[in-house]
Parts: sequence; C-alpha cells; structure tokens
Amino acid sequence: MEDSYHITGYAEHFGTWVSLILLTFMTVFISVFGADLNTLTVATALFIASVKALVVAYYFMHLKYDPKIYRIMILIVMSMFVIFLIMLIFDYLTR
Amino acid sequence: MTGTSASQPSYLDVTKGLFSWIFTLDHKRIGLLYLYTVGSFFLVGVILGVIMRLELFNPGADIIEAQTYNQVFTLHGVIMVFLFIIPSIPAVFGNFFLPIMLGTDDVAFPRINLMSWWLYVIGAIFALGTLIFGDGPADTGWTFYAPYSVKTGTNVSMTVLAAFVLGFSSILTGLNFIVTIHRLRAPGMGFNDMPLFSWALYATSWIQLLATPIIGITLLMILAERVLGIGLFDPAIGGDPILYQHLFWIYSHPAVYIMALPAMGIVSEIIPTFSQRTIFGYKAIAYSSMGIALVGYFVWGHHMFTSGMSGPSAWIFSLLTFFVAIPTSIKVFNWLATLYKGSIDIEVPLLYALAFIFNFLIGGLTGLVVGALAADVHLHDTYFVVGHFHYVMLGGTGFAFIGGLHYWFPKMWGKMYNKAVAKLAFAIIFIGLNILYFPMLILGVMGMPRRYYDYLPEFHTLNQVSTVGSWIMVTGLIIMLVNLFIAHRKGKKAPDNPWNGITLEWQTKSPPPLYNFDKMPKLAKGGPYNYPNAKNS
Repeated sequence: MEDSYHITGYAEHFGTWVSLILLTFMTVFISVFGADLNTLTVATALFIASVKALVVAYYFMHLKYDPKIYRIMILIVMSMFVIFLIMLIFDYLTR
Repeated sequence: MTGTSASQPSYLDVTKGLFSWIFTLDHKRIGLLYLYTVGSFFLVGVILGVIMRLELFNPGADIIEAQTYNQVFTLHGVIMVFLFIIPSIPAVFGNFFLPIMLGTDDVAFPRINLMSWWLYVIGAIFALGTLIFGDGPADTGWTFYAPYSVKTGTNVSMTVLAAFVLGFSSILTGLNFIVTIHRLRAPGMGFNDMPLFSWALYATSWIQLLATPIIGITLLMILAERVLGIGLFDPAIGGDPILYQHLFWIYSHPAVYIMALPAMGIVSEIIPTFSQRTIFGYKAIAYSSMGIALVGYFVWGHHMFTSGMSGPSAWIFSLLTFFVAIPTSIKVFNWLATLYKGSIDIEVPLLYALAFIFNFLIGGLTGLVVGALAADVHLHDTYFVVGHFHYVMLGGTGFAFIGGLHYWFPKMWGKMYNKAVAKLAFAIIFIGLNILYFPMLILGVMGMPRRYYDYLPEFHTLNQVSTVGSWIMVTGLIIMLVNLFIAHRKGKKAPDNPWNGITLEWQTKSPPPLYNFDKMPKLAKGGPYNYPNAKNS
C-alpha cells in the first residue's frame, strides 16, 4: 500500500479546493463581519482552521493513502496541540 | 547500503578542498562541519562565561559595566543554548553515527541535511551580527521576556531572527532523523534492535519537530510587536506578558530534553561497551526516552510559578513535573545495574559517563527542588537556578558530549589520543565544574539573585570560589582540546574497534569509508548489546 502509486482525480482536487475556499469565507465572515458568537469567536476560528488543516493533510497531502501509523502520528500531534490549548486556557480561566 | 566487498577510500580521503566540505552531502562530513562550528561557538560561550565570572570576582563594576554585563550574559545564553547545546549531540554525533548504527549509507535526505547546516551558519551570523549592527547585542537574557524585549533599544530583533533561523535548522535535522529511523534501518533491524543512541535521537527528533515551530512563531510575534506595534505581549497596548512566557516555555522546556536525551543516549552506549555486558533493561531505557519526551511537553509551567500564573495551574504543573523524574531515574538505575558485575574497564569515555550520572543527579535533584511549588517561590531567579541548570547542561550534556567525543574519536579520525592526558584533563574539568557551580547552589539558597553584575558583601567568598572554579575548568578544557588536536594531527593509528564495542559502527573501518561499510554489517544476535563473552547474571 505505502509503496504503490495512486492518481487522484480532478474532481477530488476541485472539491477539496472548493471546501477550503468555503471554510476561508466562513472564517472571514465570523471575524470581520461579526457573527455575534462573542467568546466563541476564537474557538470557532480555531476549529475551522483545524478542519482546513485536516482536509489539506488528508486529501492534498495524500494521508488517506498512507498506512495507519501516519494517521496515528497526526492524531497524537493534534491531541498534544489540544492539550496545550486546554492547559493555557485553564490558566486564564482560573486566574 | 552498497553491500559490496570492494574497499572504498575513507570519507576523509574521497575528495579534498574547502568546497568538498562545505557542499558535501556525506552525513559524516556534515557531522564534522557541525563539530567544528558548534565547538567554536562553545569556546566563544566559555570566554563570555569567564568574563562574567571575572566581573563577579569582586562586588561592584570591575571589568565591565552593568549594561555590558546584561549583554554578555544574554549573548552567553543565546550562544550556549541555541548554537551549542541544542545542536551539539544530535547534529554532530547523530549525523555522523545514526546512519552507521542503523547499517545504512546516509540519512534519508542528504541535501536537507546540508541545508540544515547552512541554516545553522546563517543563524549564527545573525546572532553574532548583533555585535556589529544596531545598538549592540540584546540585554534581555536568552528568554527574551516581554514586555522588556519589546521595549529595549538593543538589537533584540536580530537576535530573535537568529533564534528563528536556528530553529529551522533544528526542525530539518529532526525530520531527517525520524524518516531515516523509520525507513532506512538495516534489513532485519526492528525498532527494538536499534542501539539506544538511535532511540534517544528518535525521541529528541520528535521534540525538535513538534516544539520548535512554537518558539518560531512566538519569536515572530515579538518581532511583530517591536516592528508593527501589534499588542500581543505588552500590557500597555493590550497584550499579556504571561502569554509570552507560556509560549516560550512550551518550546523551551521540551528543549531541555533536546539537550538531555541525546546525552543519555551516549551514556547508554558507553556503559555497556566498557562493562562488556548487555545493557540492563533495554526496553525500559528505550521507552523511557519516549516517556521523557512526552511528559516533558506538559510541564513548562514550572518555569512560571512566580509569573502571576493562576494558583491551580501552578500546582498542576508542579505535580506533573515530578512525573518526569520517573523515566529519568529508570535510566539511572538501569545504567547502574548494567555496571553491576560487569567487566568494567575504566577508560576515558566511561569516566565522562560516570561523571554525567553524578552531575546529572545533582542537576536533576535540584531540579525537583525548584519544581516544587513552595520551594521555587523562594528560589526563583536566584543563583540556585543558575547552579541547577549548569549542572544539567554542562555537567550533564556537556560531559556526555565530551565523553562521546572521546568514545568515537578513534572511529571518526582513525587516530587515538593520549589516554593519560585525557584522564588528567577529565579530572581537572570535573573538579573545576563542581567548584564553579556548587557554590552557586549555596549562594542561591542564601538569596543572591541572578543576572546582576553586583552583589552584597556576604556573597563575596563563595563568588570568589566559583570564579576560581571557572579557571580550573578552563585549564582542563584547554588540556583536553590540545590533547585531541595533537591526536588529530599525529596520533597513533587507532584499530577499527578499540573498545570491543558491538554496535554497528565498530564493524566498519576507522575512519569509515564514504558509504560507511565495505560489506553488509552483521546484526548482533539477541540485540545490539548482547556481548558474546559476557556473564549476564
């Protein structure tokens, strides 16, 4: 699996690109035009950015074709990032 | 791996001339390029350290003024942390020996490897450029704490840029090693058949890869605030200085393990070789490297107990800090158990490895003292902290680096040094180090704050003792360097395996051929440390 080559269709590339553009519009809409999310604005922006990163990694960077171990690695890395954020926010919330 | 039996010329003889070195793709030559550059900056850092100790010999301004002192300790810290300790063992010995220990002919990405060295050089030029450009080197300390780093007129921007570029160099080295370990191990070599130095580099590489980008973006935020006036860390323009400390230490605490883990890897190589027996608890040592790397990510807040961080956060970070001691002590107990009933041969590398354990024990245990919340409130920013981290960094990593240099010197250059002189140098360095740093622990408990060019009269005697210690240590370092230099120029030819080691680097010639092996190396049956004649009781 890991050494076999694969060709991704234009439709998949195009779909990925469109979804990234839509998610970017969503981020801009929330931050610039104000979607009245108050304290959730930053969290929403971070969530959208994370989804975009996953889409890029999964489709553009071909993670979907790679062995499971690489997906587990990405999962560990993302989990650590989430833990960093939780520990940081915990400090702010308990000051 | 070539797998051919034809004898190749040594990597030192393949090509000649400056360009054959600075544009080389050979991992061994890149390792040596790092050795020469990293070693040079170590010497610059030592000179700056000696200047500080001379200034502190007596209270008051003697040889440098307060502001110069601030700039000297900042440059000393930046050079020692970013230009010496972080790249030292991975970039020098990792580059040179990882592919050989794995039984392959190079790292996965040789060109990226060369780029990593060039980035290191560019970062170093930026760091030293602060001596010439702008209003002099930064005076913030190597931590660049905001909001002072945002406001000071000294050349923080260029220093920060230097650290940023050096970070890229570190990331690329880490990336290269991870891919090399995953993809290029010799046929039949599983993860649990790798030498422990490779395991240590693997854990280190993950830290380099995951933590370094955080300091990169944080330093760019400092630049953005200085240049564009964006309010990120300066409370006067809406920023939060504690956020800076969080972001800085999210990288810089794991960076302590970038420094320590490869050192532990070297000790794990030296001890079984000079005990001539299987290492005790191979898997425990290997997995504890990963454990240290993982737990080390979540303890950064112990640097910030007095910063204004919340109380609950402080005790949680204090609690988590104590968990790091577990995998670290697993290693120490296993090293001691390996020595027990081994055929111990007191050679120079083993002396450095044993001294590493001694020094690291002091550095580690004093680390637990400052990791304890209540004690740290008193000891924070005192000389106790300076003594503690110098025991870890120079007494630990520095000793492992020098020990590794003496261990692999015959392999790297095919020459042997004068062992008696090397032992004498070791003794002087070891004594000097302890006279230099132990008084700092006492001074800290007495309440002497760090980062001042001046002090109260009651701290005078111990400061003088400490300065004399620096003279002794430097004497030892000079003897060691001269001894190695003479060995390099006209030392006796070293055999291929002078220490009876059984990891793969001892199966090839000294110095190794361009593609590392003339014929396929044989993996030791029963693991990388299964000494055939050892009584593994």
